[in-house]
Amino acid sequence: MTEPSPTQALRRSPIYRRHTGLQAQFEQTGKAILVSHYAEPSMEALLAANLGIADLSTLPRTGFKGAGALAWVASQGVKLPDQPNTAVLQTDGTMVAKLSHQELLVVSDLMATGSTVDHLNKQPEASQTYSLPRADSHSWLAITGGAAAEMFSKVCGVDLRTHKFAEGQVAQTSLAKINAVIVRHDLASTPCFYIFSDITSTEFLWDCLLDAMEEYQGVAIGVAALRTLAADR
Amino acid sequence: MKLLTCPLNGQRNISEFTYGGEYHPMPDPNTTNPRRWAEHVFFHDNAAGVVTEWWCHTASSFWFLAERNTITDQVIRTFDTSEIFNQRVDFVAPDIGSQS
Amino acid sequence: MKRLPAPFGLLIDRDQPVRFSFENKNLNGFAGDSIASALAANNQWLLSRSFKYHRPRGLLTMAGQDANAMVQLPSNPNALADKELITPNLVVMGQNYSGSLVHDRGALLGLFSRFLPVGFYYKAFFKPRGIWEKWAPLIRKKAGLGVINQQLEPDYYDKQYKFYDVVVVGAGPAGMQAALTAAVDGCEVLLVDENPVLGGSLNYARLDAKGTIAREVRDQLVFEVTANSNITCMVNAVVNAWFADNWLPIISGKRLYKVRAKQTILCTGALEQQAVFHNNDLPGVMMSSAAQRLMHLYGIRPGTAAVIVTGNDDGYANALDLMDADISVRAIVDLREKPKSTGLTKAAKRRGIDIKAGYAVFAAHQRRGHISSVDIRKIISPGICAPQRETVRCDLLCMAVGYTPTYQLACQAGGQLSYDDKSAMFTLNNLPDGLQIAGSVDSYWDLGNCLEEGARAATIATNALGFTEADIPDAMTKESHSPNHSWPIFAHPKGKEFVDFDEDLTIADIVNATRDGYEHIQLVKRYSTCGMGPSQGRHSALAAARLVAAATNRTVAETGVTTARPPFAPEHLGHSAGRSFYPARRSNMHYRHLEAGAQMLQAGTWYRPAYYGAVADRDSCINAEVTNVRNNVGLVDVSTLGGLEIRGPDAGEFLNRIYTFGFVKQSVGRARYALLTNEAGVIIDDGVACRFSDQHYYVTATTGGVDRVYQNMLKWNAQWRLDVDIANVSSAYCGVNIAGPKARQVLAKVCSDIDLAAEAFPYMGVRQGSVAGIAARLIRVGFVGELGYEVHVPQQFGEALWDALMAAGQEVNMQPFGIEAQRILRLEKGHIIINQDTDAMSNPMEVQMGWAVSQKKPFFVGGRTIAELEMKAPMRSLVGFVVTDSKAPIPMESHLVLDGEQMTGRVTSCNYSPSLGKPIGLAYVHPEVAKAGSQITIRSTGGMLVQANVVSLPFYDPQTARQEL
Repeated sequence: MTEPSPTQALRRSPIYRRHTGLQAQFEQTGKAILVSHYAEPSMEALLAANLGIADLSTLPRTGFKGAGALAWVASQGVKLPDQPNTAVLQTDGTMVAKLSHQELLVVSDLMATGSTVDHLNKQPEASQTYSLPRADSHSWLAITGGAAAEMFSKVCGVDLRTHKFAEGQVAQTSLAKINAVIVRHDLASTPCFYIFSDITSTEFLWDCLLDAMEEYQGVAIGVAALRTLAADR
Repeated sequence: MKLLTCPLNGQRNISEFTYGGEYHPMPDPNTTNPRRWAEHVFFHDNAAGVVTEWWCHTASSFWFLAERNTITDQVIRTFDTSEIFNQRVDFVAPDIGSQS
Repeated sequence: MKRLPAPFGLLIDRDQPVRFSFENKNLNGFAGDSIASALAANNQWLLSRSFKYHRPRGLLTMAGQDANAMVQLPSNPNALADKELITPNLVVMGQNYSGSLVHDRGALLGLFSRFLPVGFYYKAFFKPRGIWEKWAPLIRKKAGLGVINQQLEPDYYDKQYKFYDVVVVGAGPAGMQAALTAAVDGCEVLLVDENPVLGGSLNYARLDAKGTIAREVRDQLVFEVTANSNITCMVNAVVNAWFADNWLPIISGKRLYKVRAKQTILCTGALEQQAVFHNNDLPGVMMSSAAQRLMHLYGIRPGTAAVIVTGNDDGYANALDLMDADISVRAIVDLREKPKSTGLTKAAKRRGIDIKAGYAVFAAHQRRGHISSVDIRKIISPGICAPQRETVRCDLLCMAVGYTPTYQLACQAGGQLSYDDKSAMFTLNNLPDGLQIAGSVDSYWDLGNCLEEGARAATIATNALGFTEADIPDAMTKESHSPNHSWPIFAHPKGKEFVDFDEDLTIADIVNATRDGYEHIQLVKRYSTCGMGPSQGRHSALAAARLVAAATNRTVAETGVTTARPPFAPEHLGHSAGRSFYPARRSNMHYRHLEAGAQMLQAGTWYRPAYYGAVADRDSCINAEVTNVRNNVGLVDVSTLGGLEIRGPDAGEFLNRIYTFGFVKQSVGRARYALLTNEAGVIIDDGVACRFSDQHYYVTATTGGVDRVYQNMLKWNAQWRLDVDIANVSSAYCGVNIAGPKARQVLAKVCSDIDLAAEAFPYMGVRQGSVAGIAARLIRVGFVGELGYEVHVPQQFGEALWDALMAAGQEVNMQPFGIEAQRILRLEKGHIIINQDTDAMSNPMEVQMGWAVSQKKPFFVGGRTIAELEMKAPMRSLVGFVVTDSKAPIPMESHLVLDGEQMTGRVTSCNYSPSLGKPIGLAYVHPEVAKAGSQITIRSTGGMLVQANVVSLPFYDPQTARQEL
């Protein structure tokens, strides 16, 4: 079996060179090429439980906005969060975050097996409902581990400590001086935060976060470690 | 650093916000006299006391309004724009020839 | 010197000797020693030379609050010797001397001190003109104290946010009690102290004759605080300011913590003040608290024979401490006529100390730069002594004449400091909600009162936070007696009674400032520089205020003290500069540019290719790129362009209101130029509006302008409530412009589902289809004036698109081009760039864009103002010009257009045009010379006047046939 290369797909993470520089092993998940792991996978999961950063930018996601957007998405059988700035999970693992009374962010599960994103993207346009190209406008990074909140406090002015920022909570804020949507989405018992931010600033943010993580022995991790943590019940 | 409460995102450092100027209603540009229009565009009240201001939460691009006392710098309240702007605004073309 | 036995020496570890050097002499101290304490242990009392007169100075506060203790470290000038710890092999030098610290040639300056009178800087530089140049070399040499190491590798400094319910500043008795009381269930408390251990004055002060209470209470409080899991302690950390809504910058090591407290309690204590008398700055003269710190914290005897000048009982407590450390106490000089008998005074008497009540230390005398005796005299009225003197030999003089509250943070929070001239006590009022003060900063001196007040402040805080609903007790009654003596100031015929040690200011200097007409305390400060030195008036503000009050027949309450602005303590530049964030944006094609040899430049936050090739070949590379586009085909990354989706039933109506043109009737499949003005009719952005469907426009915007344009659009529609959605998709699309006569030929190789024929997809047409298998939006634009297609694809496909197009262009030798070439190409076509060819005043008519303004709309944002402007004669006009003299220097941006002596305009763009073979440019000129054929004069580099001809635009391809191919 030949290992997939980050350039074999037309869709490429803006920071795939950072991954190859760290000797990443890539994998194909659905249509996406992403990092499986950098180090030995079981070791990497242990490191991730302390502090890890993963690039999930090539995985599917989408968004909808407009006066009719929430009603329309709900009419497609999708469960919506009650309050703005919270997120809920679908049975297929898809995460739906409500960013305002008129805007949703819809994010794939880590195996990209959920059908919600694909289904919503394929529907014809509905009245007062406007799709947003979230897979391309925003990169998707994940920060995992017990030291995550402490690390965030070096780059973000919002209190993300786990007893103050609950699972499923969303913060739209400034992270290292760029705008970001941060969603707490734990992997079983391991705290995990998804970061969605301007995709053209991904390399800047990745470098900033790794620098902030160094103090806590944080490392880059692949999606395999995230899945291991998520399955660790 | 001051705190400001966004009606959508809650209390945040004021560095997360963009100031949008003082709110004052625009005179009808098609009927108002030049002086009144110039005052609207170029002159600002800069009042000492409670004023209503535009603020935008930059990260979410959410505009809202705030009542602030410019003497004490206390923000009295922040509120959704729909409280003031609750219906569609339309403009009527000026009558041909009425402009002097 | 042999150290005092434990429990003296709380901070030192006697099992860990540390070797260091001072003035190239090797010395030994212990781990935990500050530089100053380790030097004192080696009998080195001379620490520095004063700023102006180079007088010898020794330790004064032992608390990091004075400039006497400033020394030079290899990486750190002006280090505070009484704060900075010794480390193995640390190299410490004195500073601000010529020759050596002991024999300072600069000390001669003292003899010439009459040439450096108060207000010297004001007087010396005010007039005559040019005097500064004469003084500058001398002043620059003398100015500043330490030396910056310019070879230094910067350390890693950074910042971190923290969040607490209650922050207590100061871990003395009031602070520790406040923290304990505040640490109720669920309440997160931070207790901060600048010292290495908790305890504050309980670590070194003596409260009772027996000398046990302070340590007992401390041990109990520290134990409880440490055991309480709701309290986080931060020691060696200084809260350096108070900013709005309890935003506290806390400096600890190389990190600046940005702490948001919901409630703040200031238990910052008080700073002991010096007595003002002749030679009060000699080494060996120190605050009584400094002597106690030396003994209790470091196990060091501050001298062998001591005199204490006091105005309160703390001086007696200090005397008892000194005796416990086997130091001979020669006299207690009590400024009070009839000191009240207390446990402490009685104990001092019992021990046989000579107590001189109603006396003052009138002068100190020195031998070899250290105090050797004092001249004490009876006080006959405030500040005036009897002529009879008594000399007491000593090598230590401790001053215990009063305190000022450490009011800096409270005043930054808006607190008003007032002073009662009778009791010589301070009060702080008008504190904002969410801020409490407790302890000696609030003029409570009794330990029991301080603890009660700490608890009270904490209860107010936890009640406000909703953690408790406790009854709040009344504030404790202030003690009737104050430790502050109201006039510990004694003028001497020979002067040298220092009010401000940092700036070498004496009584006469302050009084003379008022005589020079500067009567307001703020003016006295600026004129005399009193309080402007490193210790920021901590020990001079009160004495100066008293002197100014007396000299101007006012009370201190009326005089006030100077403002104490942040920072509280000196901070390293690294704390502000460390780890800042400079966002950088890169298109998905970024690395392809680097691989192709691009020179990148940062435009705003974006990295963009300027040109491809070596820096040395810059001009020829750019010219070749221009020529290749004109004659063949080139590819440029346009990903930085802004992109906005305008969708919904009112999309056209919305654009009509925002932009100057009409869009409602624009055909689907067409693009239209979009010019944006603000309410003042000033051009602020431009782009093209592409109509992909009846209810869907895709509007481009300038790289630097799009975020503001988007925000403005949202703000307008918050008011208009049109049925439209506005989305900023700038980053979601990566784009290229493939431009040149062969553009269609190259594009056709990778695009099969769009008919690219000129008739099917004409100039200013827009299409959606696929390019190299990637969903794409295609726009036929003419920015560079050739047949061209902008291809926009989802961002993460950018690199794949670039590769596919470069491969397709290989057989015709397509080359990438950068923004330098693009700027020349557009200039040849006379296209303006917003914010380069426009400024904060430019309206559409001035830049010949009246054609882009619709006259048929009921409203657009700049409409009314533009209508007014159109009725007035234009002030200036943007025109194209050509420089015909091939030998003339090429004008540059912002060079002036002159009419005789008169400035009439300026150049906004100018470049050599490879296509036309001569320099071309755009300039604002007077409307009279705006017609083609007019002559203008440009003042070019070096003031040379260059003649240019106004020509009609565009310079290149006037029929604009090439872009329509």
